[in-house]
Amino acid sequence: MSEQKGLPNTPKDRLSMGQKFAYGLGSIVNNLLGGAIGFMSIVLNVGLGINPALVGTLQAIPRFTDALTDPVMGYISDKTRSRFGRRRPYIFVGAIGVGVVFALMWQLPPGNSEMFYFWFFLVGSIIFYMLYTVFATPWVALGYELTSDYHERTRLMGVMNFMGQFAWITLPWFYAIMENDRLFSDSVEGARTLAIIIGIFVAVVGIMPAIFLKERYVPTEDGGEEKVSLMEGLRTNVSLFAKGLVTTLKQREFLKLCAGTFFLFNGIMLVGAFSSYITIFYVSGGDTDMGAKYMGIFGTINTAATLVAIVVVTWLSSRLGKRLTFILATFVTLLGSLLKWFCYDPMVPWKVLLPAPLMAVGMGALFTLMGSMVADVCDMDELETGERREGMFGSIYWWMVKLGMALAFGLSGYLLNATGFDVEMGGAQTATTFFWMRIVDVVIPAIAAALAIWAVANFRITEEKSAEIREKLDERRLQAAAESVAL
Amino acid sequence: MNKPKLIRYIAFAGMAVLALACQDITDELVGKKPDDAQTIHITVVAKSASNPVFQSARIGAEAAAEDLSEKYSKIDVQIDWRTPKEEDPREQADRILNAVEDGTDAIMVSCSDDSTLTAAINQAVARGVPVMTFDSDAAGSNRFAFYGPNDAETGERVVHELAALLNGAGQIAILGGNKNAPNLQKRVEGALQAAAKYPGIEVVGPFYHVETAEAAISEMKRVQNQYPDLKGWAMMGGWPFFSETLLDEMSPGKLRIVAVDALPVQLVYIDRGIVDVFLGQPTYRWGEIPVQTIVKKLHLGEEVPEFYQMKLIRVWKDNLGGWARQLRAWGYSDVPVEYLSR
Repeated sequence: MSEQKGLPNTPKDRLSMGQKFAYGLGSIVNNLLGGAIGFMSIVLNVGLGINPALVGTLQAIPRFTDALTDPVMGYISDKTRSRFGRRRPYIFVGAIGVGVVFALMWQLPPGNSEMFYFWFFLVGSIIFYMLYTVFATPWVALGYELTSDYHERTRLMGVMNFMGQFAWITLPWFYAIMENDRLFSDSVEGARTLAIIIGIFVAVVGIMPAIFLKERYVPTEDGGEEKVSLMEGLRTNVSLFAKGLVTTLKQREFLKLCAGTFFLFNGIMLVGAFSSYITIFYVSGGDTDMGAKYMGIFGTINTAATLVAIVVVTWLSSRLGKRLTFILATFVTLLGSLLKWFCYDPMVPWKVLLPAPLMAVGMGALFTLMGSMVADVCDMDELETGERREGMFGSIYWWMVKLGMALAFGLSGYLLNATGFDVEMGGAQTATTFFWMRIVDVVIPAIAAALAIWAVANFRITEEKSAEIREKLDERRLQAAAESVAL
Repeated sequence: MNKPKLIRYIAFAGMAVLALACQDITDELVGKKPDDAQTIHITVVAKSASNPVFQSARIGAEAAAEDLSEKYSKIDVQIDWRTPKEEDPREQADRILNAVEDGTDAIMVSCSDDSTLTAAINQAVARGVPVMTFDSDAAGSNRFAFYGPNDAETGERVVHELAALLNGAGQIAILGGNKNAPNLQKRVEGALQAAAKYPGIEVVGPFYHVETAEAAISEMKRVQNQYPDLKGWAMMGGWPFFSETLLDEMSPGKLRIVAVDALPVQLVYIDRGIVDVFLGQPTYRWGEIPVQTIVKKLHLGEEVPEFYQMKLIRVWKDNLGGWARQLRAWGYSDVPVEYLSR
C-alpha cells in the first residue's frame, strides 16, 4: 500500500475533530438513555412501593419490543430516501421525541395504586424504547458510514466510545441525586426533576449529530417506482425486510463480530454482580461500608483505565490492525480475570483493586474496535449485495448486545443462588459457597474472553482486504455514475 | 419592559438559582449540615462495657449513626455511650435517668434485669424520651420496640439441629444456664417442645447452673457421669466454651453438641470438632437496628413494629472462616488469625 500507515486515504475520508465530537455527543445521549431507566428504577420500588418483581417485569417487557423494533428501524432507515438523508431526520426527531417522553414518563402522579403506576410506566417505557430506537439505530448506522477509511473509522469510534464513558460516570450518581434531601423532598420528586433535566439534555444534545454531520451516502429519491396498494406495499416491504434480515445473518464476518462481542461483553456482565458480592462478603468479611469503599475505588480505577485503554487501543490499532489489537486487549482482560483469583484475599483486601485496570482494557477496546469493524463489514456487504445496510447491521448488532445484557442480568441471580449464597448469612457464607462464587467470577469471564478471541481470530477483513473492497466499490460507483450520465 | 432588560433579569435569576444550587452541592460534598439541622442524641445503655458483644453493638450503633447522618442532611445522629463497666441493673437505671436529665432524645437499652429497669424506662418515656430495648427486653415496660431473638424459636432450633445430627434418636441433655433468667426459660420451653416431636429422642434435664464457664463445665461433667448413654447436648448458651478447659477433656465427635453463641473464643471448639453447630448472634445489629429504628420513628415519623426478630446465624466447620471474618468486621479484635484466611 502506498499510503502512509494510519492516515486517511483521501481528504474526504478525513473527519475533523469537530465532526468526531458531534458524533460523540450522540454517544453520551445513547448511553444515558440506555442506562437511565435502570439506574432510576429503584425509585419505583423504594419511593412508590412497587413490588420488585413488577419493577423487573417493567424492565424486561420493553426488551421484547426492542427485538422487533430495532431491525425494523434499521431497515426503514436504510430504505429511506429523503433530501435530508437516511439517518439525520430520524436522529433529529428521535432525540426530541425520546427526550420529551423520558421527561413525561417519570412524572408519576402521587397517591395512586401499584397497578396504576405499573401500567403508567409500562406504556411510557414502551413508547420510550420505540423512540429511543428511532434515535439510536440511525445514529449507530451514521457512524458506520461517516468515513470509508479503515483507520479513521477506529478513531471516530474511539472518540465516540471515550465520550460515551462520561454517561457511565454520571449514571451511578442518579440515585444519590434523587434521594438527596437538600434538593428534593423525596426520591419520587427527585426522579421527576432529574427526568426533566435528562429529557432536555437528550433533546438538545441528541440533535447535534443530525445538525453538524453530513451523510456520506444519500441515495436519491426513487421517482420511478410503480404505485401499489397499501397492502401490497406492506407485503413487499415485509418480504424485503425478512430477506435483508436473513442476508445480514448470513454474513459470516458480521457473525464473528457479534459472537466476539456477545462472549466478551456478556461474560463480564454476567458476573458483574459477583465481584460486588465477593468484595463485600468475602474480602470485607460482611463489612458493607468497607466493601462499598473498595467497590467505589474499583469503579473509579476501572473508568479511568477504560478511558486510557480507548486512547491506547485507537492508537495501537493503526499499527497492529483491528483484529490483532482486539485479540491483545481481550487477552489482557483474560489475564485480569485470572488475576482476580489471587487478589480476592481477606487478609490483604486492597489487592482486590489490582485487576481493575486490566479488566477495563477489553471493554475499552470492544466498542471502539467493533464499531469500526462492523463498518468494514458494511463495505464488504455492499460489494456482495450492492446495498448499503448499516442500519440493519447496527440494529442487529446492538439488539444482540442488549438481549445478551438482559440475559446476563437474568442469569446472574440464578448463578448466585446456585453457589449457595444466602444473604441472611452475611459474611458467614460457607467456604464452598465462597469457592464457587470466586470460580464463577474468575472462570466465566476468562472463558468468555477466550471464546471472544477465538471468534474474532479468523476475521478476514484486514487493512489490505478493506482497501481492496473499497477500490472495487469506488470503481463500481464511478461506473454507475458514468452509466447514469450516459443515460 | 424592554427586551435587553428582560434578558438581564432572566440571566440574573438563572445565576442566582445556579449559585444556590452550587452552594447546596458544595455543602453536600464537604458534608456540611444546614443551619437548621437537628442533632439526635441516642443514649446506649448496654449490659456491660467489658463484654465484647456490647463493644460490637457499640460499633454497629456508631456506624449506623454515621450512615444516617450522611444520608439525611437535616439530622446529625450522635451516640452517647453510657454503659456500666460491669453488669449492674441499678447502675443502668441511674444512667437512663441521668441521660433523660441531660436532654437525650432517645435511649436504647439491653436490660440486665427487667424488673429493676422497667421503672426507669417508664420514667424516661413519661418524660417524652422514647426507649427501645435490644438483646434483653423489659416486655412489661413502656418501651416502644425490642430487637432480639425469639427465645422459644431459638430453643426449638437448637433441638432440631441436634436431632438432625443424631438422626432423630438418642438421649440428649439440655443445658439451661440461669434458671431465673426469663429468656433462658423460654429457650428451654422451646427446646422441650421441639424434642417432643421426635419419638426417638429422650430428654434428660434441663440442667441449670451459674452462668460461668467453670460452673457450666462442672454441671456438664456431672450429667455425663450420671447418664453414660448420653448422645448429645442442647445448650441454650455457650457457657462451657468460654474457657479452653474442655479442649483437652472432650473427644471430638463423642457427643454431638449444638449451642447458642459463637464468639471468637469459642470458635476453636468448632475447629476441633468438639462442637458441631453454634447459633451465632449478630451482635453488631444490636446497635445498628435500634439506631435505624429510632431515627425512622423520630425523624421520619414512621410507624415501627414493636418486635424486630433477630435471626441467628448457623456456624459450623464449613463457614468458620466466613464467620470469623464477619466477627472481625463487626469489631471483635480477638478473632484467631488462623481462621480469617479460610
